[in-house]
Amino acid sequence: MFSLEAVKWINDQFKQTNELTEKTLEYEQKYMQLFYLKPLIDREMLQNSVIKPFFEMASENQFKLYLHALPQFQEATTKEQVMREIMNGSVVAVIQNEWYLLDFKLSTNDKVNNTSVETTIHGSQLALSDNLATNINVIRSYYHQPSLCVEYVVKGEVNQHKVAIIYDKEKVKNGVLDTIRERLQNVDKQVVSSTTQLNNFLNNKRLSLFPQMIMTERPDRIVYNIAGGKVILVVDGNPQAVATPAVFFDYMSTMEDNYHTLIISIFLKFLRYAGLMISILLPGLYVGVTSFSPEVFRTELALTIAGSRVGVPFSSFIEVLFMLFFMELLLEASIRLPKAISATATTVGGLILGTAVTEASLASNIMVIIVSAVAISTFVIPVNEMAFSIRVVRLLFIFVTTIFGLAGLTLGLYVLIMYLVNLDSFGEPYLQLYTSPKNRSKWERKT
Amino acid sequence: MLNKQIKNRLGFLLLLPLFILLSGCEFKDIDKDVFVAMIAIDQSDEADKPYKITLKLYEPSSSFKDAPQPTYSYLTQAGETLSEAIRLMEAYSDKELQFGHTKLIVIGEDLVQADKSKEILDFLLRRPDIQMIAWIAVGRPSAEKIIKMVPQGETSAYPELFNYFDHTGTESQYIVTTYLFNFRRDMKAWGIDPVLPIIRINEKDSHFEIDKSLIVRDSMEPHEFDPLNTSLYTMLTKGTDRADLAINEDDEYFIARIDRLKTKHSVTIKGGNKIELDIKIKLYGYISESKKNLDSKDLPFYNKLLKAESEEKFTKFFTDMKELGFDPLGFGLDYRSRTLHNRRMSKEEWEEAYRNAKINLSVTPQLKSTGSIQ
Repeated sequence: MFSLEAVKWINDQFKQTNELTEKTLEYEQKYMQLFYLKPLIDREMLQNSVIKPFFEMASENQFKLYLHALPQFQEATTKEQVMREIMNGSVVAVIQNEWYLLDFKLSTNDKVNNTSVETTIHGSQLALSDNLATNINVIRSYYHQPSLCVEYVVKGEVNQHKVAIIYDKEKVKNGVLDTIRERLQNVDKQVVSSTTQLNNFLNNKRLSLFPQMIMTERPDRIVYNIAGGKVILVVDGNPQAVATPAVFFDYMSTMEDNYHTLIISIFLKFLRYAGLMISILLPGLYVGVTSFSPEVFRTELALTIAGSRVGVPFSSFIEVLFMLFFMELLLEASIRLPKAISATATTVGGLILGTAVTEASLASNIMVIIVSAVAISTFVIPVNEMAFSIRVVRLLFIFVTTIFGLAGLTLGLYVLIMYLVNLDSFGEPYLQLYTSPKNRSKWERKT
Repeated sequence: MLNKQIKNRLGFLLLLPLFILLSGCEFKDIDKDVFVAMIAIDQSDEADKPYKITLKLYEPSSSFKDAPQPTYSYLTQAGETLSEAIRLMEAYSDKELQFGHTKLIVIGEDLVQADKSKEILDFLLRRPDIQMIAWIAVGRPSAEKIIKMVPQGETSAYPELFNYFDHTGTESQYIVTTYLFNFRRDMKAWGIDPVLPIIRINEKDSHFEIDKSLIVRDSMEPHEFDPLNTSLYTMLTKGTDRADLAINEDDEYFIARIDRLKTKHSVTIKGGNKIELDIKIKLYGYISESKKNLDSKDLPFYNKLLKAESEEKFTKFFTDMKELGFDPLGFGLDYRSRTLHNRRMSKEEWEEAYRNAKINLSVTPQLKSTGSIQ
């Protein structure tokens, strides 16, 4: 099936680049042609496992059998596949019109990183790497089940990235898996370069605020999610995986919750939900209570706030927005800045700006306390994606409270809950407490 | 599909301006409000303006550490009605008067004696920003004098007078705490009469004295409780959980410190408009002061003395109340709650029956120790 024409076709395809190496080996009635992209392959490996044996083997037949036996060997079916594999770092050996695909890819990005986004005190400190094969290696070596399935899809018309769909066949919900496969089929993008991009591509919505897939870099979380019947998507060249279907409460848990004793993890969870409520509601509450119904405060507090607002030229909501704006700028700046400078930026922004603002009475003392409390409590939310969503929700609440007061804030909270109830992540209701693994009846499991 | 989307968008566009119009409360910054700490309502000297209102206003301060001395300002105005006086006062102040933090309403004694409490109550209840959990008290000689006094050692932002009533500061058996909502409820219902504390100032103008109280009923002359009766009243209504009772009998003199009280009261209906009042009181405690050496072995004897003494005091209290026609504990309410409306005595019949009721009072004393280690 592979004739000289095919060889010519492949040569044509790579005509633009001068990197395709074509090598002809001939020795004692043995004849072999090799095609590969030089920068992609491990030359030493090629030398040791193909070229050297070629000269040592007695007959061509023996060498063919040897190539078949190599672990890097892959069956070649179509010429398009061959071309793709060459681009992925395979070596094509052609012996008597028989094609042998050998994966000699040289990877420089296969070292696992340290956790940097989801840091914990307990548990593993290692995250995923940028290399898909390594990542799958990591996942497989933590999850020993024959039912663990890995499917590959190539996405991105231009950059042709490999996307792996990883799940436990025994535990995954088939509906979810089908939806993901179907939606992945429909992804029509030129470049797919990040796992979290899939979040936007797969949720079928133009405007979405809350993430429907949970991003993680921790292998233990991936394994935990696979065991819980979730589907993991990993994109090559990305140290993050996404797990789906994700419910709201997944975003509020860390892997450490499982590593602590029960009471401690309940306490930590309480802290986290309190932080969530504070970061959503506190700025809105400040506006609502100071400007609409000051009788909610204790008398001393009302008087202190009234006193500290003396001389502040703005209304309470401008004051809140003004301070929050600077806080958001500070957050954004400290992400973008090199690590060495970002510490300085937070000091200048947080400490100096905070005191200077109150001294110039551009904002009240209480306001500075509120903004810092809000900033700190936003950091308590363990999954970064949710923290970003919460920052936006907070602004909406300030807006609603400025117009409608405390009643507006309460109704706004209802609207948020209604919105969350309405959301679903790949068929799973967003506000359910946990995703159930697979809807199988009990007797079925016994048999 | 598209049609539906357009409909949704149109609906949203229609709703948006309506939302803007909806704003319920008005937006007003907190530094444009002035908070009223207390309201004093007195009878004025002018005939056409019978009410004189004095407001005690907080002066806001950014740091109470810098201003340890309390600062208040006062507004006084007489008016034909309470609303009129307050409306005039709003014109005297540069900021909006906020009654949301008003914790105490003091009514001048003249007004209470003149049986005006119902009218005042009406105003206080209708004004939405006056909290129903405000305390209400009677000021002697006048309410204005009470709220204008700043006792020595008062800290800013929390007037000392509030500590008397909020059960976080002093807890005395002589202080009656009456909330506005309670006062209103007891005032409107027949079968129970509200009791208001009387706030007085001592002769040197240095502190308050709150140890008396006043029982009020619509179209009846109020009756004043002396400190003893006030303390019996708070004990009976569980307004206090700590009380002292002095026992002076048969050359024994000691003070029983009660630290737990249980009271039960109910009406027993005996046919033919005859009723009996059952009161059961349990007193737990110890002896806190004595002029003699006491022996633990004699505790049953001291208990007996306590029983005799307290029964006598309580019986006298109830007999007095019965004869005057006041009902501080709400026997009438108890009666009404347990009879069907068509078999119930009329108000007049009940009052007659109450006056002639028999009192069955029993005290169970539970003195646990003589208070000293032996």
